[in-house]
Amino acid sequence: MPAKFDQELDCSGLACPMPILKTKKAVDALQTGQVLKMVATDPGSLPDIQAWTAKTGHELLEHEKDGNKFIFYIKRK
Amino acid sequence: MSENNGKIILMCTHGPEDPERATIPFVIATAAQASDIPVLIGFQVNGVMLARKGCAEHVFAAGFPPLKELIDIYIESGGELFVCGPCVQSRKINSEEEFIEGAKVVNAATFAKEISEAANVLVY
Repeated sequence: MPAKFDQELDCSGLACPMPILKTKKAVDALQTGQVLKMVATDPGSLPDIQAWTAKTGHELLEHEKDGNKFIFYIKRK
Repeated sequence: MSENNGKIILMCTHGPEDPERATIPFVIATAAQASDIPVLIGFQVNGVMLARKGCAEHVFAAGFPPLKELIDIYIESGGELFVCGPCVQSRKINSEEEFIEGAKVVNAATFAKEISEAANVLVY
């Protein structure tokens, strides 16, 4: 079941490292506790988002795959 | 004894003749900036050519954004570019006139200090 989210960011088709760079900008613009839904098509985005959230302290609430799309729900710290 | 300030240094020793080796340092560097990891890029050997205005505009590596776009993001995010002085002079480059904003010409002692204090250094 998709988590509730406050903003959505579509990074479909973007090449490394753009999904991470755009996600950072979008998450930084949220209020603490708000959730970003980010969609990417780059398979490397899963380990990248995991690494990025571990490093920055934002929380990866859940992630799922829908066809060729990787969907992430990230909560701003 | 190094202070280990957690910074990573990416040394770029290839220029426009090797698009992947010229681009990947900036891919890693911008991802590091987005991850709150301190980072520095150094240009040596033919990598110094990338500091020239108009050079990065011609560099494209498959699977990555254009190099110019990555360099712009890196500099706008506060990234520093240290360029090897002797490599610049031996190529008869007039750095003051020809270099992009943000590129700083430094010599060996500066590189030695930064390397000794960094957590990790990677050479491309």
